[in-house]
Amino acid sequence: MPHNVRQSYFPISSRMHILLVEDDAVLADGLTRTLQAQGMQVEIARDGLQADALLQRTPPMVAVLDIGLPGIDGFEVVRRLRARGAATPVLLLTARDAVEDRVRGLETGADDYLVKPFATPELVARIRALARRNAPKSAVLALGNIVLDSSARRARVGERPLELSVREWAVLEYLLQHAGRVVSKQQIVDAIAPWGEDLTLNAVEVYVSRLRLKLDGAGVSLRTIRGFGYLLEAGA
Amino acid sequence: MSSIRLRLLKWLVGPILVFNLGAAALTYLLAWTPAQLAFDEGLRAAAGALAGRVRAEGPAALAAGGAPNDGAGETSWTALHGADGRLLAGDAGLPAPAGAGLFDARLQGEPVRIAAAALDWQGAPATLSVARTVRARAQVRSAIVRSLVLLEGVFSLALIGLVWFSVGNGLAPLARLRARLDARGSADLAPLDDAGMPRELAPVVDAFNALLGRIEAGARAQDEFRANVAHQLRTPLAGLKLQLEWLAARHAADQDSVRSLKLMLGANERMIRQTNQLLSLERAEPNRFARARLLPLDLAALVAESIQHFVEQAAAKDIDLGFELDAAPLQGDRFLLRDLVDNLVDNALRYTPAGGRVTVACGAAADGGAFLRVEDNGPGIPVHLRTRVFERFVRLDEQSVGSGLGLAIVRDIANLHGAELVLGEAQEGSGAVFTVQFP
Repeated sequence: MPHNVRQSYFPISSRMHILLVEDDAVLADGLTRTLQAQGMQVEIARDGLQADALLQRTPPMVAVLDIGLPGIDGFEVVRRLRARGAATPVLLLTARDAVEDRVRGLETGADDYLVKPFATPELVARIRALARRNAPKSAVLALGNIVLDSSARRARVGERPLELSVREWAVLEYLLQHAGRVVSKQQIVDAIAPWGEDLTLNAVEVYVSRLRLKLDGAGVSLRTIRGFGYLLEAGA
Repeated sequence: MSSIRLRLLKWLVGPILVFNLGAAALTYLLAWTPAQLAFDEGLRAAAGALAGRVRAEGPAALAAGGAPNDGAGETSWTALHGADGRLLAGDAGLPAPAGAGLFDARLQGEPVRIAAAALDWQGAPATLSVARTVRARAQVRSAIVRSLVLLEGVFSLALIGLVWFSVGNGLAPLARLRARLDARGSADLAPLDDAGMPRELAPVVDAFNALLGRIEAGARAQDEFRANVAHQLRTPLAGLKLQLEWLAARHAADQDSVRSLKLMLGANERMIRQTNQLLSLERAEPNRFARARLLPLDLAALVAESIQHFVEQAAAKDIDLGFELDAAPLQGDRFLLRDLVDNLVDNALRYTPAGGRVTVACGAAADGGAFLRVEDNGPGIPVHLRTRVFERFVRLDEQSVGSGLGLAIVRDIANLHGAELVLGEAQEGSGAVFTVQFP
């Protein structure tokens, strides 16, 4: 197996409501099962007009939208959504890398895009990232046996309390928020020391190596990408 | 290659010169003939007058020898010949005239004009002739010729200059057309603007625009076809992949199912890869009317965008994948370059054995360009195969799992960017080092 589809690093507070718009039956079915296995609640639309109606009736946390749809295409669905002033995060799926320009140009108002066929963990990670962007800031982050409760400022691995310095907390929080995705050391520096505080890439390495010791037995893998950054994933 | 300018000049300047020459000849005749007649008339009158004097005064009226100057800078001779041609009196140097009239002769080495008048001499017919040098005539003639040559020369030069200018002026729209064509990007298929073009060039511009239109339509049809192929192949492949993954997770406990599903997932991955490669190969096709837009970008950022995918691939084979990314600014097409990076890294990960090491580096080169280097510690590539690995469908051995397209894509994209692709070997131990040196 290339990856574990039963990761569980979503905020435990709510089931994530996803609107999936895909006209290909096989892909729609596969996506639904995959996302449901991630604990997401998936609603399906088969064409653009149906999607447009559903987006108005029950706004999802994230809309996953194919571009090539019968009726009105994905671009048009997003255009109408944004014209109504809705901020629903949209992840576009495309089979044509030729349209990457347009998607990337943000002229569509979409937030992210993926080219088919995609790696499943990548899709899940991107959906989670979009959900987090708009969700009320979730107080609790969980991955593997790690639970990070920002409101109570308490962290634990299983039942074992985790003692973290302020910086270590910030690094772990960032890694948990981006679980499943490679993050660069520079991204970590920018995120936890945003006002040009004196934080070197070497310091980040130190915090991560301390975290690595403290996360022993946490049911996660914290991989070092040599010369670049880190990847935190569920699974030992 | 024939030149319109030369043709026009040839057909304008030649006739102008011929006409001018003809006009000069005519002018010469018109100017010279009356002068000649006037001179002749004077000579004939002199001969008539002298004949009268001879009749009255006898041969003594004829001075012997040439009169050196008759008052007009000419030398004259006179003679009286009998009907039988015998010299009766006067200068023996004069030829006996055949009868009355005017004729030319040479006397003492100088051209002369002779007028002969008939008279009765002692009851027998005789002829009195007066020879006179033609110095004044020669002067008049050469004055006429000099003026004509000068005048016609100046005229001809002025006309040629005018023609040269007019031809250049007339051809200026062509030069403008060429300038417009030169100014276009190689992939610009927009129709030519015919504003300000003369009516004579309109058919050319129209024909050219029609051709551009057909090429544009062809390129668009090609893009459309490619997009359709992409959609028709990738969507079912993506669906199949998800279904197989779901099935594999569900049957993780059943060894036989796991084995079978693993094979299917592998085949699915290969189909995905082949599809992507064929599509990017088509996109990088050098003679395609690719609308490759070379824009300033940073190679390091581009590599960083693809890292996620590489990391998963490397993790599956337990390969230590590392990066040395420094700012590498260059002019490039981001989609093509991403294909290049993907294929180079994919190639390295594919041919490096499990537990190996792959390093991707980029940065600014010392000479101003940018470089991308992908280094592995796999088996390396034998020297005799190094030129062949960039050909399509060439694989190093029958066991390898690649399509044989990856490095051909890399080569095509490098060429499109004017980059140099070098295959070397690792400094220490075995392994291959691919370096792309961008200008």
